[in-house]
Amino acid sequence: MSRRFANIDRRQFLKSAAAAFALARYGRAGGPHLFEEIPPDASGIHWVHDNAASVDHYLPETMGPGCAFLDYDNDGWMDIYLVNSGPSDFYKPSKPIRNALYKNNRDGTFTDVTEAAGVAGGSFGMGVAVGDYDNDGFPDMFVTAYGRPILYRNNGNGTFTDVSEKAGLGAAVFENHWTTSAVWFDFDNDGRLDLFVCSFVDYGAKSHFSCGDNKLGKHFYCIPRVFKGTASLLFHNNGDGTFSQVSRGTDIEKATGKGLGVVAVDVNNDGRMDLFVANDTVQNFLFMNRGPDAAGKTRWEEIALAAEVGFSTDGRARSGMGVDAADFDGDGWQDLFVANVDQEMFSLYKNMKNETFTDVAFKNQVAQATRLLSGWGLRFFDYDNDGLLDLFLANGHPDDMIDNYSQQVKYKEPLLLFHNDNGQLRNVSAEAGPVFGKSFPARGLAIGDYDNDGLVDVLVGNNGGAPVLLHNNAGADHHWLGVKLEGVKCNRDAVGARLTWPAGGVTRSRVRNGGGSYLSAHDPREVLGVGTAKAVEWLEVRWPQPSGRTERFTSLPIDRYVGIIEGKGVSQSPVK
Amino acid sequence: MRISLRGAFGLAGIAWLAGMVWGQQPPAAEDLLRHAIELHQSGNVTAAIPEYRAYLKQVPGNVMARSNLGAALARAGLYEEAIAEYRKALESQPGNAPVRLNLGLAYYKAMKISQAADEVARVVKEQPSNRQAIFLLADCDLRLGENQKVIELLSPLERQSPDDKALIYMLGTALIRDNQPERGQVLVDRILRDGDSAEARLLMGATKMSVHDFAGALADFQKAVDLNPSLPDLYSYYGMALAATGDTPNAAVAFRKELASNPNDYTSNVQLGVLLKQEENYAEARKCFERAMEVRPGDASARYQLAAMDLLDGHTDEARIALEKLTREIPQFVEAHVSLATVYYRLKRKEDGDRERAIVLRLNAESQAAEPGAKVK
Repeated sequence: MSRRFANIDRRQFLKSAAAAFALARYGRAGGPHLFEEIPPDASGIHWVHDNAASVDHYLPETMGPGCAFLDYDNDGWMDIYLVNSGPSDFYKPSKPIRNALYKNNRDGTFTDVTEAAGVAGGSFGMGVAVGDYDNDGFPDMFVTAYGRPILYRNNGNGTFTDVSEKAGLGAAVFENHWTTSAVWFDFDNDGRLDLFVCSFVDYGAKSHFSCGDNKLGKHFYCIPRVFKGTASLLFHNNGDGTFSQVSRGTDIEKATGKGLGVVAVDVNNDGRMDLFVANDTVQNFLFMNRGPDAAGKTRWEEIALAAEVGFSTDGRARSGMGVDAADFDGDGWQDLFVANVDQEMFSLYKNMKNETFTDVAFKNQVAQATRLLSGWGLRFFDYDNDGLLDLFLANGHPDDMIDNYSQQVKYKEPLLLFHNDNGQLRNVSAEAGPVFGKSFPARGLAIGDYDNDGLVDVLVGNNGGAPVLLHNNAGADHHWLGVKLEGVKCNRDAVGARLTWPAGGVTRSRVRNGGGSYLSAHDPREVLGVGTAKAVEWLEVRWPQPSGRTERFTSLPIDRYVGIIEGKGVSQSPVK
Repeated sequence: MRISLRGAFGLAGIAWLAGMVWGQQPPAAEDLLRHAIELHQSGNVTAAIPEYRAYLKQVPGNVMARSNLGAALARAGLYEEAIAEYRKALESQPGNAPVRLNLGLAYYKAMKISQAADEVARVVKEQPSNRQAIFLLADCDLRLGENQKVIELLSPLERQSPDDKALIYMLGTALIRDNQPERGQVLVDRILRDGDSAEARLLMGATKMSVHDFAGALADFQKAVDLNPSLPDLYSYYGMALAATGDTPNAAVAFRKELASNPNDYTSNVQLGVLLKQEENYAEARKCFERAMEVRPGDASARYQLAAMDLLDGHTDEARIALEKLTREIPQFVEAHVSLATVYYRLKRKEDGDRERAIVLRLNAESQAAEPGAKVK
């Protein structure tokens, strides 16, 4: 397996990719589109999501799928994982259904290695969270499900092992929990990734409530309001390959919700990772990590209402689905985003630096653009490498018959792209390429630079359809530095690290949050855009606890990826 | 019903004026009054008003002249002054039903629907066959959301006048709003016997709205707009259907059209206010909620929206006072508790905020427990 990184492979890739995409990308006047849809025949990704659609309309049918960019074989190239449905108490597939792991061939194509890797799943899958929980340098996967979730430990040789039971994350732990999004993060700063798992509604153990017939005389997907909520789950990484549930007795257990999205983020800059959870039809939760009590147990305080991120300004709970966190306005504090269902508009919560937030969605064109949309996967990222965090939204209505009731709201919905104009988001979807004129039943969304060109690409999971891979053509005249952080004392994935870099007279900062989006996991590397500046003057990394150390690096290369190991410096070869 | 009541105010005043008693007046005063009436009848109310005032200065006890002054003031749009004159007239003759009806009309025009309903209800009590008063009271009650009262008021008349379209229309509206779409549908069918009409389409659409068939309702309202765009309430319903089907820009246009012809429409004011608030047009939104509040002074929705506006505008203490009152009066009002908790947290009254938060959690849990899917295992 090649361990060469960046320049040579990148050139090779660009050569072949240019040939493959030449017609599609440059076949019109005015240059390439910001994002180009890569068809399955070009990518080799022929997997299709089976949503198990039935006349009975069981709710899990409309909730998936999630997807991920991960470098499972640690070769420096992003691979792709796609989650499928599967056998369940209401669905007996007539043919085998499986998740899919696609290995990156480094030429713009992928090869299905699912069987060899042993990650086909087996239950009615929902999403995936990726993290190196055992600090061995290889990313592991937690696959959520309606049914039994699976913890896949990466064996480091291209294969995975289902270690769910052995790790204490077996079926019994998740009984009566329909798990959705999950996030790996180190809540107690012990240098190991812990796991938070969103639990959706209590869908019934054997029989499932039906909402009857709609006016078309057909069963329809119940609005989750009719189901009882459940408590999400927090597991502590014991450091020996096992996990212990530690949410009992905390606000996490007391807060009965219908969790769909989660992001781990330090909202008050106290060095501890907090959790923001989007709930469907009930209030969102903001779990503040208050650190250990006298007995050493982490205290969690749920403050969403006080923080003004739980309800709309009309005091109503919305249908929160996807979430993300980022300092989009560059003030040094992490802001929050929640995608809701149509008519509710999405929320962009500006951090007021005192554990409260203000919804600025309207001022940023987000509210207007999302009034008729239902949002799931989403991500703040700098698509054009100008140094500012932009926003990508994947949308789709959960009701597959909505077109029959509404003139305006549709089942398939368009993707949305917002550009960050100096801290102000602007809807640029109309000028971002033909794919933004199409509609999808989108759910999961992951970002990742699959061709290592420094322009972060996008993967969208579609309900009952093929995923959409979008190649990023934006910002070709902008420079960048790609960074893969490797914690030594802190968690290996360096979740919680803060990167600061000046370039061209502007100093920017970014925090590596955990999770975000919906059912999905992103490329763990950070691409730091510097616009037209020719160099990064220096890069400062403040590693998360327990070290909490700050390191500054100079003489860094430009337009390529580097690895940075905590306390050991920069590596320009792939990080093992 | 509003259709038949529009203009009734002036007609009632003038008709009654024509039959007023003359005599026992000083000649100069008599000339003043005669001149005032001539001006009034010719439609020149601006000139009639000072003549009436001059006359009443000399003969302050003439109830009829004072009532005429009220009518002229109302015709000139000076409703508060008209109300004051009517009230003075009624001090002398509290049993004067025509004056009280005019007072009710003035309140109605002044957007004081609740007071209007109180006055007109007294007229109806004294004159149970006064159809004009009954229709005005029914209209007021519809605006106040007192649908059951409308049904009780109009059902006996419906039996007497089964083909009175205006009556059927108003009763049908009340039935549909009172979640009795089947009875409402019967009335719709009766209207439809005479062919397609805007009224029938409006009722059909309203019936469909009541069972959440928004797309179907929208089609009916569109047809009604084609047939008679000036039908009262039509644009209000049309706006709601547009909003429910996702077309909020056109919904706002529809609400504005309704309010252009009927600034007192409660629903349009609230709905437009909500849309404007979402668009952060707080100043105009506040005006809409304030007008809705004038139409229905005790209305919890309008009061809550105004409190929410105060919260958005940073008038935290005003919001607190309003929300504390609202939650005391309606303890189950979850949204008000949410906003009150927010107020307390903003005021750094954590203990109070936590108490409200606990109420929110309890109310939501109770509501959740009542959901059908929560009971099935």
